This record gives sequence, structure tokens and C-alpha cells, in this order.
Amino acid sequence: MAAQTLNTDVDMKDSVLRFDHAGYTYPGGYRALTDIDFDIRKGERVALVGLNGSGKSTLLLHAAGLLFATDGAVYFRNMKLTPADVDACRRSVGMVFQESDDQLFMPTVEADVAFGPKNMGLSDDEIDRRVDEALAMTGCTDLRKRAPFQLSGGQKKMVSIATVLSMSPDILVFDEPTTGLDYSARSQFIDIVSPLRHTLLIASHDMDLVRTLCTRALVMDGGRLVYDGPIENMPYPCNPSK
Amino acid sequence: MHMADALVSPAVAAGAGVAAAALIGVAAHKVKTIRRENIIPLMGVMGAFVFAAQMINFSIPGTGSSGHVIGGVLLAAVLGPWAAFLTLCSVLIIQCLVFADGGLLALGCNILNMAATSCLIAYPLIYKPIAGANAGAGRIFVGALLASVVGLEIGALGVTAETELSGITALPTSVFLSFMLPIHLAIGAVEGVATGAVLCFVAKYRPETLTANARGAYDRGNRRRFRRLLVIFGAGTLVLASAFTWLASANPDGLEWSISKVAGLTEFTSKALPTAVMPEYNSTFAGVIGAVLVMTMLWAISTLLFHSLRRAEVPSRTKK
Amino acid sequence: MKTSRLEQAIFTLNARQMASEPDSHIGAIDPRALLVVTAIYLLAMLSVPVISLGMLIWFAVYPIISAPLAHIAYERLFIKSLYVLPLLVVIGIFNPIFDHETAFMAGNIAISCGWISFLSIIIRGLLSVQAVLLLIYVAGFNRMCEGLLLLKVPRLLVTQLLMVYRYLEVLLQEALSMHRARQARAYGKQSYGPRMWGSFVGQLMLRTFARAERIHRAMLARGFNGSLTWSRNARWSTPDTVYCTVWLIVFALLRYVDFSSWLLKLLTPMSI
Repeated sequence: MAAQTLNTDVDMKDSVLRFDHAGYTYPGGYRALTDIDFDIRKGERVALVGLNGSGKSTLLLHAAGLLFATDGAVYFRNMKLTPADVDACRRSVGMVFQESDDQLFMPTVEADVAFGPKNMGLSDDEIDRRVDEALAMTGCTDLRKRAPFQLSGGQKKMVSIATVLSMSPDILVFDEPTTGLDYSARSQFIDIVSPLRHTLLIASHDMDLVRTLCTRALVMDGGRLVYDGPIENMPYPCNPSK
Repeated sequence: MHMADALVSPAVAAGAGVAAAALIGVAAHKVKTIRRENIIPLMGVMGAFVFAAQMINFSIPGTGSSGHVIGGVLLAAVLGPWAAFLTLCSVLIIQCLVFADGGLLALGCNILNMAATSCLIAYPLIYKPIAGANAGAGRIFVGALLASVVGLEIGALGVTAETELSGITALPTSVFLSFMLPIHLAIGAVEGVATGAVLCFVAKYRPETLTANARGAYDRGNRRRFRRLLVIFGAGTLVLASAFTWLASANPDGLEWSISKVAGLTEFTSKALPTAVMPEYNSTFAGVIGAVLVMTMLWAISTLLFHSLRRAEVPSRTKK
Repeated sequence: MKTSRLEQAIFTLNARQMASEPDSHIGAIDPRALLVVTAIYLLAMLSVPVISLGMLIWFAVYPIISAPLAHIAYERLFIKSLYVLPLLVVIGIFNPIFDHETAFMAGNIAISCGWISFLSIIIRGLLSVQAVLLLIYVAGFNRMCEGLLLLKVPRLLVTQLLMVYRYLEVLLQEALSMHRARQARAYGKQSYGPRMWGSFVGQLMLRTFARAERIHRAMLARGFNGSLTWSRNARWSTPDTVYCTVWLIVFALLRYVDFSSWLLKLLTPMSI
């Protein structure tokens, strides 16, 4: 791959992620998603809201190519996602998990940010460059040599974002990004994310946050999609189906 | 049960180290063939889990004392024997290097006594036949109890053998054994009850985690596996034995000394030995005093050195 | 409130993690050199016969000199190593009990071989703990693992070590918060009975499984393909060779030359 800078220029036209009547049943028999149908286009900023247990996290795992629909299908750039055919999706979707301790499993910040690029088989120089750039974008350059246990909750979240930015993804997926962050870390998060031109999919209970960052909302309830439209008309937090 | 460096001789440590390293090599190879997808993160966090679980004491009813687990059988029931062995090795290494619990040279001994006995002997030979796939709570409990007791008893035998072979302590083998075996019988029973309780809990709420392992890649060719295991242990013993002979030829006084101590027990008097009392030791007393003095002086110099280094460092440190 | 073992473990761990800054004088030494020197030191020191106390004491040279170079006052190292003392005493005390043979006379008092070897065991124990503490202080855990990798320790074991070390604090904190939550509702009952303990630890274990699953997903999401790669920054250079050589010569001298009697011979004519 040529020395391309981290993805900042995104075209607005084509579909990047499409759920086609997708459903998912966990191996234990628990039905988490039913008939999910939506389409996200390049550059869109989408909020995913819903009560606890409404299936948001399961949906995000499908978007990141970590779970596969048991009914219907999920398409990444019009390519059906299957366990055998998922590498392109995992490279292009940067998922920031809810708990930073699960995301930061390497001994140092630097090694963690380099983890993704290394697995993509990039050259050492390119890896270094991407690590520098991702750390600079998230304001974590000074934390480079630190170990994860030396970081505060807010710092861990910023480093988590750097670990996916270094892979130069097209889509950024956040699961509850501001849960447990204090006021200043939360505004730092907004400062980092709002100038990005990536396609965004943010699952959150933080209504102010999603209203600031997103233009479209998906509302889930009991594993079903109950609203898909502009964020201003979003029916949350009332429980629309019951 | 952790052995300290102070009690092992280099020959025994090296012998046990070679045997442990060989087992680690085999384990690393075996674990690569495990088809369980998340085995690497699972082993990692399970190692940390065992560590945390060891820090939580439980009271033993009626005695007022408390115990905690080592966790070999527990790990093996969840991860399978080889992955459990590797995980427990990592826990022992971290205990040694980070918490200075058990010596670095004695690491080989500790791995054999604690990790190998529970994961590679007690689990496959006792726990698994009793509580194989889909066993009920009763069988799991009995299996865990027996396996823990046997594992710890074999470990206690190992500690005794390694200590006596090293010849550092003057404690006679028979006395040592009569301490170690009953104590570890009790510890094993406690460990077994604890392991059983945890496994029953897990079998109740997440049975698939236990059966996933019982059905794992290891179940093919049980017998062949045991035979290979025996060969490995035979080799380990051989290594230990040859280390022992090497010790005997390289360091005759060490060996004689320990043998004479064992023999001395029967008479139990100070004059049991023909007094070959080393004449050169009469001057040793003064020599010891001299050595202590020199070391104290060196300590003083090192303290000065430390402070001058610190002072020299301060500006450069604040700059950072 | 009494601190629990969990809290103590977390304190120790934090202290170790914070202490390992590789910017001291010998911190720049290749981790392989540090590992090798430590191992040979232990081999040489522990191979001194227990009766040769005079020879053993000289081995204190290594920690006494290395500690200040690693920015640690030797007193601190010494005090930290004292926690093994009870264990050493318990095991060593059998030597004076079983071994009454006279080693030498100090004035009118006969000193038995048992007491000599007792002291030897204590010193061996303290020195070996000091050497290991020094290793971890100087190298730091991550660099030490790098050294192990370069010394051909299986990558799977090194991965495992780094993962356990990474999640040690996380799991200890998790156990501690569960412990506190239980404590808050225990109405003064401090200890766990076996059944209670079983469900407590079982609970922790289920959480651990779930965490492994989440970590695995985080790995997969970033292209994990079955094995982790670890950076190897260490480069062997001339100072490393010098460091090893100097110490190996010192250890050989300490092991084969009886400095105590040499010192004695040197001093005897003067005192007369």
C-alpha cells in the first residue's frame, strides 16, 4: 500500500454497510436481533440508540464483522459478510469497544497502536508513521511509552481510538464511547471525533453527544429497529413499541 | 510450597530446569494445535484470574484457619492440561520475577512440583477419568478433590526429593517427609474442596466452558497421550538422576555431607561422625568477620555512590 | 480496616510497575545480558558449599554495587529482601538442631556447623532475592520478556507472560471490587466459607471468560490472525559484552578464590 495519509477524504455516494433483513440468535437460543434493515452510505454519521439489552452491541459486532447474521445478511460495500470473507470489512471498520481495558491488551501504548497496522502486513516505516499520526490525532503522543495501567480512564479511551485510527479505517464504530468519562474527557472525545470525515456509527445513551456528532438516528427496541431517520425527530428516550 | 533458591543446589536446579523447559517446549507445541479460537486471550486472563483467586482466602470450617488455591486442576478443567500447564508456568514465573515469591533458580523445581503435577498428572489420570464430559456435580466434586490431593502429595514428594538431593538442609529425609505429606494432605483436601466448589458453580451456570475442553483436540488418542506423558516424565527423571550423579562427582563434600546427616539421624547425637572436623575452619571465624567488614565498607561506598549519582541525575531528570 | 491480601497484591504490583523505569545507568544494558548475569550469579553463589560462609558473604558485592547503578539504595533492596526471612528461618533452623558438629571455636564458645549452615541459608536466600529484585527493577517486566524472547523462550510463553502481567491488575481490581461489594453487605462477617468462596470465585471466573471473549473480539477487529508479534528493540552492543564479561570474571573469582583467608593472611602479620 502506498504511503497514503490516514483516511480524511471520504466520498458521499455509495453504500458502505447494509443490513438486509438481518437477524441473530445466540448459540444459547437467545434472539438478539430481528429483521434489521438499513443502509449506511459513505460519510454518514449515524447514532444507534436504545435501552439496555435492546441489541445495540450485537448489531455493532455485526457491523465490525465479528458476528454473522443467522437470518438475512449484512453487506459491507455490497459484499456479503461471511466468516470466510471478512478481512476487508475488519480492516475498514475500526471498532472502539466499550471497555478500554479489553481493547488495550498490549504491554505499551505504542505496541497497541501498532497492533492493527502490523497485522495488515505494513512495512516498519509505514507502521511508525501511522502510529505517530494516530497518536497525534488523539493527543496521546506523550503517552507513547506508557503501559495501559498508567493511564486514566479518559486517556485509555483516547488511546483506544488511536489504535483503530492507525488502521486507517473508512468507518468508525463506537460502543458507548463516553460511558465513565468525566466532563473534560468527554469534550476531548467530541473534539477528536467531530473533525473526522469517516463514516460514523455511534451507539450511546448520551443524547447530547449523538445530537452533536450525528445527523441520522437508528432506534432499537427489543432487537428490532423501530426508527430510522433524522436525529431531530428521534423518539428516544420513550419506549415506542410498548 | 514455593521452593526458595536458598535450598536448592545448582545441579538440582539445572536438572529440574531442563525438565521444566522441555515440558514448556512440548506444551507450547501442543497449545498451537488447540482449535479453540480465543485460547490466547483466554489463557492470558485465566492466568491473571488464578493469581487473583489465590489472593482470596476462605475459612476452613471448625479450624479457624484459612486457605487458598493454587489452581492447577481448576485451570486444567477449563483449558485442558497443556494450556493449563503453560498458564500456571506463567503465573509461577511472574510470582518469581515480580513478587520474588520462589527463587529464579528454583523455578524449574517449582514448575515441576506445582504445575506439572497438577496439570499433567493429576488432571489426566484422576480428574478426567472421574469427571469426564457431562459429569454431574458429585463426580466433578469428587474428581477435583482426589486430583488436588494427589497432585499436592506428588508435589510434596517432589519438594522433599529436590531439597534432599540439594543437600542444603540438614533435615533428614524421613523427618522432612513426615512433615510434608500430612500437611499437604490437608492442604490438598482444602484445595480440592475449593476447586470442586468453583467447578460445580461453573458447571451449573456455564457448562459449555467445561465440556468445550473435554471435547477439545486432546481427546483423540487418550492412551497414546498418556504413554507419551510417561516417556516425558521418564526423561525428566533421567535428567534429574544424571544431574544428581553429576553433583555427586563434581561436589563430593556436598553429597557426603547430606548423606552423613541422614545417617546421623539414627543415632541422633552430635558425635555421630568421625570427627573429620575441617582444621581450616578454625580460621574461618576471623575470615567471616573480615568478609563482613569488607562488605559493610563496600555498602557505605555504594551508598555514597548512590547519592552522588542521584544528585548528578536530578537536572537531567527534571528536564524530561 | 485491615487491608486484604488483594489490596496488598495490588500495592506490590503498582510499586513494581512504577519502579521499572529503564533510564538508570545499567537500565540501558541489553535485557539478555541482565538475565544471563543474574542466572550465572545465582548459579555461582548457590554452588558455594553451605559450610563456606566466609566465601559466601563476598557474593554480596554484586547487589551492593549494582543497586546504586540502578538508582536504588542498597538499604532499600536489603529491606525489601527481608520478607523472605521468616521462611528461611523456618527451614534453616533444622540445621543447628540436627547438626552439632563443631566447626570452630570463637573464644570459648563452640560454633557448630549447623549454625554456620543456618547463616549460610539465610544469606543465600537474601542474596538470591536481592538479585531477582534487582533484575526486575533494572530491566522492567516488558523488556525482560523481550530478553526471554531473544533467548529463544517459546513465543507462546512470552505472549502468555505479557498477557497475564497486563491483566493482573485488571483482575485484581475486579476481584477487589467484588470483595468490597460483598463486604459491604456481610455485616461484619469477614471470611468466606467454602460454598460462598466457590460461588464468589466461580463468579469471577465467569466474568473472566466473558472478558477473554471481549478481548478476543478486540483482537479480531484489528486483524489478529492467531499469534501476537512482539517488538524486539534490543541490540547487543559492546557495553553489554563488557558488562557480562566483567561480572562473569568477578563471579569466577568469588567462587574459586577464598578472599576471606586471603584477607586473613594479609592482615595477620600486621596484627602481630
